[in-house]
Amino acid sequence: MSLPKDTYMFEMVRTELIDAVGADYVNTGDSDRFGHSIDYYWIPEMWHDRGRETKKPDFVVHPGSAEEVARVLKIANQYKIPVVTWGGGSGSQGGALPVFGGIVLDTKRMNKILKIDEESLTVTAETGIIARHLEWGVNKRGYSTMHLPASIACATIGGFLAHRGTGVLSTKWGKIEDMVMSLEVVTPCGEIINTLPVPRHASGPDLIMMFLGSEGTLGVITKVTLKIHPMPEARKFRAYLFKDFHTAMSAGADLMRSRLRPCAVRLYDETETLTHVKKVFGMDIGTGAYLVFGFDGREKIVDLEMEYAREIMEKKYKGRDLGSKGGDLWWQNKYKFFYPGYMFHIPQAFGTLDTVADFAHIEKVYWAMKKAVNENFPQARFIGHFSHWYEWGCMLYARFIFEGKDVPQDAGEAAELYNRVWDVAIREAIANGGVINEHHGVGLKLGRYMKDLYKNSFPILQSIKKALDPNNIMNPGKMGL
Amino acid sequence: MNIDKFNDSIKACRFCFMCRHLSGVGNVTFREADTPRIRAAMLYGVTLDKSKLANADFIETIYSSDLSAACRFHCVNSFDENGMVLAARRDIVEAGLAPADVLEIAKEENSTEAKPKISGSGDVLYYIDPDSAAVASEARAFDKIMKRAGIKYRIAKGGNTGKVLETLGFAADSAKKATEFAEAINKSGAKTLVTPNPAVYDSLINGFNSCGVKLSPKAVHASEFLAQLKIKFSKKAGKVYYLESDFLKNYNSNLKFPRELLCKLGAEVAEFGTNSEESYSCGEGAVAFDKLRPAIVEKMAKYVEARADNPSSDKIIVASPYTKMQLSKHSKLKVCTLTELAADCL
Ligand SMILES: Cc1cc2nc3c(=O)[nH]c(=O)nc-3n(C[C@H](O)[C@H](O)[C@H](O)COP(=O)(O)OP(=O)(O)OC[C@H]3O[C@@H](n4cnc5c(N)ncnc54)[C@H](O)[C@@H]3O)c2cc1C
Ligand code: SF4
Repeated sequence: MSLPKDTYMFEMVRTELIDAVGADYVNTGDSDRFGHSIDYYWIPEMWHDRGRETKKPDFVVHPGSAEEVARVLKIANQYKIPVVTWGGGSGSQGGALPVFGGIVLDTKRMNKILKIDEESLTVTAETGIIARHLEWGVNKRGYSTMHLPASIACATIGGFLAHRGTGVLSTKWGKIEDMVMSLEVVTPCGEIINTLPVPRHASGPDLIMMFLGSEGTLGVITKVTLKIHPMPEARKFRAYLFKDFHTAMSAGADLMRSRLRPCAVRLYDETETLTHVKKVFGMDIGTGAYLVFGFDGREKIVDLEMEYAREIMEKKYKGRDLGSKGGDLWWQNKYKFFYPGYMFHIPQAFGTLDTVADFAHIEKVYWAMKKAVNENFPQARFIGHFSHWYEWGCMLYARFIFEGKDVPQDAGEAAELYNRVWDVAIREAIANGGVINEHHGVGLKLGRYMKDLYKNSFPILQSIKKALDPNNIMNPGKMGL
Repeated sequence: MNIDKFNDSIKACRFCFMCRHLSGVGNVTFREADTPRIRAAMLYGVTLDKSKLANADFIETIYSSDLSAACRFHCVNSFDENGMVLAARRDIVEAGLAPADVLEIAKEENSTEAKPKISGSGDVLYYIDPDSAAVASEARAFDKIMKRAGIKYRIAKGGNTGKVLETLGFAADSAKKATEFAEAINKSGAKTLVTPNPAVYDSLINGFNSCGVKLSPKAVHASEFLAQLKIKFSKKAGKVYYLESDFLKNYNSNLKFPRELLCKLGAEVAEFGTNSEESYSCGEGAVAFDKLRPAIVEKMAKYVEARADNPSSDKIIVASPYTKMQLSKHSKLKVCTLTELAADCL
């Protein structure tokens, strides 16, 4: 239900919201409503680019505590008004867009670091804190969350929890879900609940995991306790160039099967090696596939792990050693690509076909997606790198790019073209053993594939949603729920 | 339109999130609108449909920017969101859309005499602008140092370089003030103009340059002058926290002289808060921000206070009298300027 400004119901609800969070923190001005109508999803960006109106919320509220969040949700339930939780708005899936108007609940006022526990090595924080601010906060005490995503400057910790996000050091330190000790959540009906204080137990199913990845559809995560780690004594990188992508993938998979514990591994396909490595890292290394990895921790152990890893790369797979400089340049420039001037940008149409699979399927997924995109959209480029590596497989960060001249000016037609690419590529990924997706989430963009992905287990997700959110006020229209 | 010159920045910033954490105002209002991304997206809308410039709420947002330029300093490609906002303000003024509070400040600025009153003798001219005059201890500290150094200097008081008018978007009025100010200074024959106020420093260096006004003496900030002064400071400053100035660091990449001076004073400079990227200047870049958005300035000061290691005892050093004024007014932080610290170390 959207509430136009000139209705008395708008004023009624506004009055109640002011009572809940304070007049300073209920915004209904055009700038605020506009500010929450575009996130990092290409479709609303393109819509705005074409001069079309983006869908705006009726109210933007900034609660300062879980109690205030609970009050807002109770009001929303009373009047059956949609509530969309908004962290940094940096999600690429349209998850934070208020597609049916209503209330945007911006979490950024809940931005405090509440406690750093140096005995258990944990930090407790409110979830509206921007990840960079949290990291700086723990750095000051000599620790790190080890959660270093490219959107560290703009995304909130709550956003990462809601999307099961990940950072560049995920291979050793894990995704956000591996870092969580406990959560405080305000359920859609306005109950403030806590999960058990530790994440490993045998006291029934894990409530933490139910809320992680729920993208604001099952409530608002208001507080989190995360693990923290001492700053490592050393972090060293090394890069190799392989004759082709298949050889590099085999070398990377072998590195993971060796059970050495790299903190990061990245592999760029031949096309990205030619473009990205040169443009962003400033290395002109010729043709082939670029693989970089690193280790961190105690220096002596790091050196030993590096020695074993080099053996795999050089002896078994004949990789060309680009030295530590070849790896350091990657680390130093790891976020550079995301700045305008490097990043893809409208008028281009582009998207990240984030897919994860085990080593037995990952190459198949890559080739199947590439073929599907190339055949159906010969005007598009398909590139990819492999970002987050596990003992069993890795994440394919594939991208399609249309140059501006190949994208219709008409917003509706452009959206249709864009959606067709996803249809073709994602269905191909699922058919070949891939899972959409590894860390970007589902949102508005991929909700329509959830039934294909979950098959006959999807009704379980629907039942959970219904039980927790009987009035369907929390982020309706997202995740296919 | 003036914003057309910033088309590249508008197009780059409108979908960019990379400096969100440095949004000085956004970090205290929590409003998405108070970020470079949304300001740029709003102005992109204006480039498509000029009538959007008249939206009172957009105008209010454009005048709520703290103009710290932390984004430009951080940006790997130096996109100029700051310049874009200043250009938008000029467009607003030229279209006769300036809001009442902005017009009020502009009227007050326009009514002040541009030419300062100059007294004394010597090659060095110390300029006490109205903001610096409000911190009387600043000029006293400078005088103490100069006496110890045995240097005669002249004092220029009052006047108006046009900085406030420029920042609010009144380009023509600002240029007029700048011309008159420069005339008076140039006539004095001074060789060096020392200003304790980084906003004035930026005005004399960049503002005058952009409107083609020539200033004969070399303009330096007090920190540069004192860092190069041949004088012995006998007491050590000890542990201090230094808060960068927007105008020295982000506008003029001048990180060197304040640090050289601190080093000369034997200061052990500890990092304030958690990082050196955020602006802690309480809206220095927006010049008259305390008059235009007092409630935001108060929140910014509290934000700074909350980041101090020991708010009631830490020795906080700033380059700008404006920042000292705001922090002293709205927090319990103990703040002194670089000049005051130097005088204490004599
Ligand atoms: C330049 C750039 C680089 C990126 N790099 C990475 C990367 O390296 N790794 C990565 O994982 N992602 C990356 N992303 C994507 C994005 O940053 C993540 O998806 C992040 O998790 C979004 O957080 P946010 O606070 O911006 O959330 P939003 O976009 O505001 O919201 C995302 C979803 O989470 C929900 N939500 C937000 N906060 C809460 C909460 N407290 N409780 C419940 N639900 C909530 C929203 O309703 C929405 O559905 C990148 C994005 C950008 C712009
Ligand atoms: S100034 Fe640079 S980093 Fe900031 S929004 Fe603009 S392009 Fe992004």
